Amino acid sequence: PRRRRRGPGRPPGRLKDKKDKDKKDKVQVKLRDCPRAPSQPPLDPALLEMLRRFDLSWEYGPCTGEHPRLSRLSRWRRAPPDPPLSPRCPAGITRLQRWERAQELGLSPPGPIRDALLEHRDNPDVTYRWVWVGGTG
Amino acid sequence: MFSEQAAPTAQGLLSPPSAEPPTFCRVPVSGYSDCSQPFQLGQRSFCRQYAHIYAVRLAGMRPGLEQRARSRWGEDIVLQKLSELQAGEKCCVVGTLFKAMELQPSILQEISEEHNLVPQPPLPKYIQASDELFLEDELQRIKLEGAIDLQRLVTGTILAVYGCEQEDGRFLVEDHCFAGLPPPLPWAGPSSDRFVLLASGLGLGSVSGETLLSTQLLVDVVTGQLGAEGEQSCAAHITRVILAGNLLSQNTQSRDTINKAKYLTKKTQAASVEAVKMLDEILLQLCTSVPVDVMPGEFDPTNYTLPQQPLHRCMLPLASAYATLRLVTNPYQASLDGVRFLGTSGQNISDIFKYSSMDDYLEILEWTLLAGHMSPTAPDTLGCYPFYKLDPFILTECPHVYFCGNAPHFQSKLLQGKEGQRVLLVTVPDFSATQTACLVNLRNLTCQPITFSGFGADSED
Repeated sequence: PRRRRRGPGRPPGRLKDKKDKDKKDKVQVKLRDCPRAPSQPPLDPALLEMLRRFDLSWEYGPCTGEHPRLSRLSRWRRAPPDPPLSPRCPAGITRLQRWERAQELGLSPPGPIRDALLEHRDNPDVTYRWVWVGGTG
Repeated sequence: MFSEQAAPTAQGLLSPPSAEPPTFCRVPVSGYSDCSQPFQLGQRSFCRQYAHIYAVRLAGMRPGLEQRARSRWGEDIVLQKLSELQAGEKCCVVGTLFKAMELQPSILQEISEEHNLVPQPPLPKYIQASDELFLEDELQRIKLEGAIDLQRLVTGTILAVYGCEQEDGRFLVEDHCFAGLPPPLPWAGPSSDRFVLLASGLGLGSVSGETLLSTQLLVDVVTGQLGAEGEQSCAAHITRVILAGNLLSQNTQSRDTINKAKYLTKKTQAASVEAVKMLDEILLQLCTSVPVDVMPGEFDPTNYTLPQQPLHRCMLPLASAYATLRLVTNPYQASLDGVRFLGTSGQNISDIFKYSSMDDYLEILEWTLLAGHMSPTAPDTLGCYPFYKLDPFILTECPHVYFCGNAPHFQSKLLQGKEGQRVLLVTVPDFSATQTACLVNLRNLTCQPITFSGFGADSED
């Protein structure tokens, strides 16, 4: 009998591994943590509270712009697909952009917020607005 | 005016040619600077909501409107936000207008299957007597009634209303005002006659070739190959040609190929390919002789949302070899010989025409200048890029020449403002329909139409 070529990517079939096959087919429900460099210390909750208050104050203009990864996570039961959303396409505007816009329009946003945003600029929890992603999403 | 200047000085058409063929040097380009940087978008991101553009529009125009309100209704008037209103108290509120129109095309209604409605055909005007006007600020909205011309106004205008809130929650307007003419620019125009030719709606690629002769006549007049020596010497005073949009005809936008199966449309060429080749040849003839600014329009191969980005120079290989060709944005702002030009290809004006009772393009053009915003209906009914930092359509300085392309007729008016503003308003007619272009004299801000026709009486002036 002619040996059938299996498609690329399929491991060579071996009878011994059949018992593992069932486990592999099941959907891996694995919510990945927001990918963050492990060396970053956890953020001060008072700082996050100050940023949240800045988001909710209407005087400085509309605030839209969730973290692109978090907003997508809520819609996926499985792990989100790779590669992650391009960093050049944020959803909405970042907190720093909103602060700078308020500054240019003469609305005098508080200075400490900008310092905090620049200090933690590589932390996505600080850069983007935090949104509660509960429910079925 | 053009030919009259020529007639006394030079020989007419039916005289023997002079021994030495004369050469006329075109007036040199001096003082051109492109001011359309706010309309040039670099990296574009559409992942943004339109709330930002309305917020910056209101925040940007609020200070000017508050000042206008104080100068009009007294220094001691109370300026309040909608959330601070008290019933019966006279005050002034600054906000954005929203006009709720029943006939406004709504994509949600069109795709709503449970209603089983056929989408309404495009109408020339979508206004109705039952439209309602609301004033919105950062937090709330309130219904307006009273001394305000509902039919005339459009969504997105920023204005100040003076009146008081009624018991039933509506605002009774006693008076309203707009931002008014922007502050004037210093005048540094030329001292001798210099002309700029404005044309729009060349409409290349249309089924009928009637306008091709008129277009060629236009090119020949500008390049000095038509008329006697008098006309040629006058044509040498044309310093620039601005083509304000719709270089291609609407016929080149063949929508039916989208619905056909791929195997039927595989070998067919888009109608715009031939039209762009024709455009390239026409521009080549013009560019060898005079600087040309090409603005895209509604039917041209560029993006749909305002501000439209310049056409790509790879489409015009012959003409883009010349440095005199400038592909510019729509809207376009530039300073030519000390005279500030600002204009669009007409999409903003025709959109306001659809949603307002104003019928005259020149009236709408003047109204946008007095309202301080070039295109208030963007992004509601006119596609617009989601700006978030500033609204580039707000008029911060008063231009000297304010034009719009693709109007049904030629009209022009010189507007004088209280602070010394002098603006020439020009509605550039659609060349494919009217065969008329406009010549603007930079010295005294006058404008005259110039019509070309193949058969019939005079072909100039």
